[in-house]
Amino acid sequence: MNQHRILVVDDEPQIQRFLNPALAASGYEVIAASTGAEAERLAATSAPDLIILDLGLPDKDGKEVIETVRAFSDVPIIILSARDREAEKIASLDLGANDYVEKPFGIGELLARIRTALRQQAAGTSVPSRFEAKGLVVDMVKRLVSRNGEEVHLTRKEYQLLVHLVLHAGMVLTHRQLLASVWGAAHVHDLQYLRVFVGQLRAKIEDDANSPQFIRTEAGVGYRFIAE
Amino acid sequence: MTDHGQKNRPDPDKLLELAARETRGKLTVFLGAAPGVGKTYAMLLRARRLKEDGADIVVGLVETHGRIETAELLDGLESIPRKQVRYRGKVLEEFDIDASIARKPKILVVDELAHSNVPGSRHPKRYQDIEELLWQGIDVWTAMNVQHLESLSDVVTSITGVTVREIVPDVVLKRADDVLLVDLSPAELIMRLKEGKVYLPGNAERAAAGFFKPANLTALRELALRRTADRVDDQMIDLLRENSIEGPWATGERLLVCVGPDDLSEKVVRTASRLASGLNARWLVVSLTETDDAGEATGKRLDELLGLAERLGAETRRVIAEDFVEEIFRIARRENVTQIVVGRPRSARWANPFRRSLPNEIIKRFTDIGVHIVTGEERGISYAAPSMRQRSGPELAKAIAVPIAATVVTTLLGLAASDIVHAQNLSMLFLVAVILSGMICGRLSAVIAAGLSFVFYNFFFLEPLHDLSIAKPHQLFSLIIFLAVALMIGDLAGRLRDQVAQSRNQAKNTQALYEFSRKLSGTARLDDVLISSASHLHSTFGSGVVILMPDDNDLSLQAAWPPDLTLDGTDMTAARWAYEKNERAGADTATLPQIGWQFLPIHTSNGVSGVLGLSMDDQPGLSENDDRMVTAILDQTAIAIDRAQLVRENAKTAALQESEKLHTALFSSLSHDLKTPLASITGAVTTLRELGSRIKAHTRDDLLLAIEEEAARLTRFVANLFDMTRIEAGTLKAKKLPVDAAEVIASSIERMKKLKPGIVIETSIASDLPMVNGDASLLGQTMFNLLDNAAKYAGDGPIAVYAKQDGEEVAISVTDQGKGIPPKDLDKIFDKFYRRVKSDGRAPGTGLGLSISRGFIESMGGTIKAESPAIRKRGTRFIVRLPVAGPERAAVA
Repeated sequence: MNQHRILVVDDEPQIQRFLNPALAASGYEVIAASTGAEAERLAATSAPDLIILDLGLPDKDGKEVIETVRAFSDVPIIILSARDREAEKIASLDLGANDYVEKPFGIGELLARIRTALRQQAAGTSVPSRFEAKGLVVDMVKRLVSRNGEEVHLTRKEYQLLVHLVLHAGMVLTHRQLLASVWGAAHVHDLQYLRVFVGQLRAKIEDDANSPQFIRTEAGVGYRFIAE
Repeated sequence: MTDHGQKNRPDPDKLLELAARETRGKLTVFLGAAPGVGKTYAMLLRARRLKEDGADIVVGLVETHGRIETAELLDGLESIPRKQVRYRGKVLEEFDIDASIARKPKILVVDELAHSNVPGSRHPKRYQDIEELLWQGIDVWTAMNVQHLESLSDVVTSITGVTVREIVPDVVLKRADDVLLVDLSPAELIMRLKEGKVYLPGNAERAAAGFFKPANLTALRELALRRTADRVDDQMIDLLRENSIEGPWATGERLLVCVGPDDLSEKVVRTASRLASGLNARWLVVSLTETDDAGEATGKRLDELLGLAERLGAETRRVIAEDFVEEIFRIARRENVTQIVVGRPRSARWANPFRRSLPNEIIKRFTDIGVHIVTGEERGISYAAPSMRQRSGPELAKAIAVPIAATVVTTLLGLAASDIVHAQNLSMLFLVAVILSGMICGRLSAVIAAGLSFVFYNFFFLEPLHDLSIAKPHQLFSLIIFLAVALMIGDLAGRLRDQVAQSRNQAKNTQALYEFSRKLSGTARLDDVLISSASHLHSTFGSGVVILMPDDNDLSLQAAWPPDLTLDGTDMTAARWAYEKNERAGADTATLPQIGWQFLPIHTSNGVSGVLGLSMDDQPGLSENDDRMVTAILDQTAIAIDRAQLVRENAKTAALQESEKLHTALFSSLSHDLKTPLASITGAVTTLRELGSRIKAHTRDDLLLAIEEEAARLTRFVANLFDMTRIEAGTLKAKKLPVDAAEVIASSIERMKKLKPGIVIETSIASDLPMVNGDASLLGQTMFNLLDNAAKYAGDGPIAVYAKQDGEEVAISVTDQGKGIPPKDLDKIFDKFYRRVKSDGRAPGTGLGLSISRGFIESMGGTIKAESPAIRKRGTRFIVRLPVAGPERAAVA
């Protein structure tokens, strides 16, 4: 098995102390960095498959690290952040981070995010022609959507939105990212569009639109499509 | 018909007055015609009756004048004890207004409304005391004789020959809610007098014989009866008004009373007052002057006159006009005046070509308005009479000398030039002299110059020369024309001069005010505004100026000019009065007039924001002009105060925002400090649970140790937060017992070494170190915090701990060999949540340790300070000083 290499960037020794053995025990190769500069250097030289990045670094803002890394690599980046730093999370995701985990976190949650990110990365640019989960079928060749065998009629925008979510299943997508990819860059602030269309989409594909099992709201940040 | 509708609606002013009366106490006046009619007796009799019915009625002050019947009535009535007042070495008894207000009965009986208080009392007159009582919501019963009524005082004097000194303004009686007439026929009164039942003050006894004549008493009785009847009339009308009952109740009469600064005007006002009350008419008193700066004496005279009119119940207005008759006409039309009252001197002593009789002009001008003319020996209003202007001696001399000099010089010039210039043309030269005189010294000089020119010109230049007779008729004609032209030009020149002077004066005032407001607009600090105003007022009026503003609910002196001015207790009382009642107090007012200050409230958009005090030691009061100036300056000051307060508010808001920012930073740092250990613990625990089987044993142990350490870190942090809270809330109570500092230091070092096993700590503790006064656990925590702090910044170098006795104190120092603290940060390190940033940019620790240490040490009565650099340009030294425990304390321990 090809062992994935993970770069853990955190200045708190206590976090490294449990993260490194935990990741190693889960079959990953771990390299550690405690400053932003070190992180950028290691990202460039040791070709990690994934980066876990704490935003609060002593020498520079974690967002700068994302920008620098994104300039030469599309390696998945998972942010470690506090719950009350919403603006920071959104900015990081918009800068190109793939996902985030809120501190304090259980190791299981982090491992799940790592797996999703690595899977997305492996899928690469090859767009699947068909998606199926929990009775929802999205046929991207025929442009057909069915729920429990019944065809669901979606408008063009609803369909585009669904496909975008499905293609990034398991990952958080910020409002801005969704708006930009479905409605275009001119509409990145029209949050209301997104709310309305997500609402309509949920009404059509969810069993209960009030407790959605496919399109989950990430409060204040965006939406996440849950495939399993 | 809108008119009809208007009439039916109750007068809003009346309703407002009624509303005010709701909370105001009610005034009942027992009115008598003369002393001895039994006012006090009647008042007390009623009081007893009410008391028996259970009313809360208290006697504030009653003079029994030794009358037994009256004294008996006082039995069983609660009385307010009189106040002892020291005045000119004598101890006098006075009505105690403060005690009365404090007692606050429903009804208070205060005899002798017309009484004048001992100088130095709060109010000079008793009716002012009573006004305050009413204002406090206390009903007052009082008594007075009709002779004390202001509008009647001259009548009474003319009837009885006795000058009435103690006067009560008519409005007091007019505003009384109830007037009860205590009547006794003159014959009975005289009988009572003969029986010795009437008390008369010693000095009045001589006058008494003349005063208590049947004719006098009858006249006074008639006055009293008429006054009461008038009041009944008023009440009837008020009742009709309140109930919106349509007429015919209003006489609709409105009097316009014209007065000037002359002697006759006072009589005019009194006459008009009686006329107005007889007609039940509203009356307006207008003072007429030609120029604004009429002179000090004139201004004061008018102030007094209008003051009198106001007390008698008139509206008053000051009018400055060139043409009196036109102005009177205008006012009369605008105010719907039905009758005009004006004074006319009985005889004009001398004919003046510029002087017209005002009454005659008015009569000519008005065809539909009745004109009352009050005659008298006194001089009446001077109307367009330049010669009447008051001049000082030197001014008058100048006014005469200048035209003489001008005409003499002109004559000499004319004589010198008579060979070349035709005599006819020389008249022009004299006109120049007239104009110059008028321009330099005013109209009087112009007239003098015109007269002299006329004489000199005739004498020296017209045939026959050196003779006042005239040879040719056409010369007579040109001479008359010359005189007329000279007079007209002179008058015009004089007027021009007056106007120039006046506008220059006004411009000066305006300029001064402008300068002041410009100066104020440049100052944003309240203190500067107040000082600027005070100094400006001082330079304008030459008197001492103070400004008081509220501070902690009481007024305090905020600015003074000259700066060493102070106020005594009475002054402060007056100032507070002005502030609370929003009216002037002190010198030249009705409240505490004996003090040397006048206090004026300063109105800003937020109500009264302070009080201005003007020293009145050298002057009797503010003239009309000064008053206006003060008001203008005060307005500017108020605006500046408003602005300064706004600026202060803004600064406060900015500070608040700054502190909010600080709070946000604080919060995020706190949340980081709390979350990191929590994240470590959660991560380690979940790793052990979920991946435990795949992890090597020694790694598992390390994770468990990490959990323990992080939990300890969290515990310490939380403990620190609690300590900080205790210190801030002031609930920290340090014990002050003898403590062995050496022992405490040793155990703290022990604790530290357990936490950081590799740490190097060098100690040097004096073997004879005495006990200190303090709290062992707080000192221990402080030492631990200092060691912890040193360990964070020391790098790998050793930490030195020294302790020795230093005088009455024990000094304990903790020195590290880190980079040290820049001097500018040295005083901040004890601030809450302040942290030095480590070389890697990251602030370690919670930023609470040092702050808590200081809190602990100070609560034990000690001090803590930091020094940096400590040794060889490196390191920081913390020095704790605690008092050595006294022997008595050691003994107790």
